[in-house]
Amino acid sequence: MERRDFFKKAAVVAGAAAVGTSTTEAGITQQPIDNRKISPVAFPEKRPLIMYSDRPPLLETPRDVFTSALTPNDQFFVRWHMPDIPTHIDPDTYTIHINGLVKKELHISLNDLKTKFEQVEVTAVLQCGGNSRSAFKPIAGGIQWGSGAMGCATWKGVRLGDILDQAGLHKDARWIGFNGSEKAAYYETPEFIRELELTELDDNVILAYEMNGEDLPYLNGYPLRLVLPGYYSDSWVKMLSNITVTNEYKKLFFMDVAYRVPDNETESETPEKKFKKTKPIKKMNVKSVIGYPTKESIVNHKSHVVVRGVAWDDGHGIQDVMVSTDNGKTWDKALLDDGKLGRYAYRAFRFPFKPAKFGKTTIMAKAITKIGEEQPLAKDIKWNHGGYKYNGIDEVTVEVI
Amino acid sequence: MKNLILIAILAVSPLFAQVKENIEVPYVAFPIKMGKNFDAIQTHCLMCHSFGYITNQGRQSKKFWHGKVVKMVVHFKAPMDEKAIQETTDYLFEHYGNGKLQ
Repeated sequence: MERRDFFKKAAVVAGAAAVGTSTTEAGITQQPIDNRKISPVAFPEKRPLIMYSDRPPLLETPRDVFTSALTPNDQFFVRWHMPDIPTHIDPDTYTIHINGLVKKELHISLNDLKTKFEQVEVTAVLQCGGNSRSAFKPIAGGIQWGSGAMGCATWKGVRLGDILDQAGLHKDARWIGFNGSEKAAYYETPEFIRELELTELDDNVILAYEMNGEDLPYLNGYPLRLVLPGYYSDSWVKMLSNITVTNEYKKLFFMDVAYRVPDNETESETPEKKFKKTKPIKKMNVKSVIGYPTKESIVNHKSHVVVRGVAWDDGHGIQDVMVSTDNGKTWDKALLDDGKLGRYAYRAFRFPFKPAKFGKTTIMAKAITKIGEEQPLAKDIKWNHGGYKYNGIDEVTVEVI
Repeated sequence: MKNLILIAILAVSPLFAQVKENIEVPYVAFPIKMGKNFDAIQTHCLMCHSFGYITNQGRQSKKFWHGKVVKMVVHFKAPMDEKAIQETTDYLFEHYGNGKLQ
């Protein structure tokens, strides 16, 4: 990558996402920041989105996109870790290597992947573990995402299991390491590698080259990424270059230091007393987000409003979404879509609402899973230092006029 | 300094066409506060990430910023000595701090 001239004085350009400087009392979790402006800059293959950084690219999807079960590719959020992402990929020569404790090393071209294996599809939610981090007070470390560091797409590719079968695993194989193509500025910086234990592998884990019927967008990991339904996105390695099978776990920064929560029942701690033992964030908890109305929407008195949004969990499935328009005093069931996209997808919900009074009205949405887990109120969510796994009941306050 | 580069998006393109040529990610000049030790920030932080990555962390304590800088050295192998760690921490706390030492 061409090194740009970074060292001249920085010009001031509008478009940087504003940092919340709210002075809420310490220790109270609240609604995530919901007033981010769309950047005037459009990134490759993307519409203008909320932007936190260009290098590495960090882009958030605006709330109003979350009214349907699939998120358009050009509005899908973006999160990279390293500054140097390959800027040229030749799909004719791109090859993924499978090595380590395998009977036969494989070097599979993109074309072979598409023609010599069974092609499968899975619709799954991709969500950053730090999605909605701006809800935590005191401010947790990391990008202060609103609730749009997520999306849901239909991913097409090949089962990881089929590829490993063809390579043939050695008896003592236990871990699968995934290497992405993003590079750091220094050779000594650890590469972005994730490890998956073989026991975590099932038929829904695929290497995907297609997203919603199109090639993966460059910024979403073109030409090939790991798809791990139910898991937070830090494990879904982008621009996959290498898969290595090992018998022992390698110590890795992105596994052992980042993306971890306190290893206790409530996965929480206090800023004064951090909990020593931590565990990877791994699977998603139950959550829902309202896509319409937003705080900018015009809502007329006694008009027929349809509240819309999405709900999901780690694959147990959504049983109900409950909506309240009286600050949580009463809750009514929203209508759910047919669920045909499968248990890892968003369930789109809708709820008819006729505003009976003028002025500020808050709409709240709460998802409940098939195993009875439900979203807590924002204020009941306990703090963790990384600001991970926020899943508070979503709220949108509108002015009824 | 490079101006913002806007990439023309091919609305309907055959498979793969969009990356047959080099992709260019736009460069964005994030607003950043000037002040003492800003040189250290330019030298040590921009190698790997934008100012946006810094300013979008929210206002934080001195301990937090020190921890972040140390993380860059220990885990990301940024070549920084004690003086550089001190200067960058001081700058970050001065301009993006919450007033609390920890």
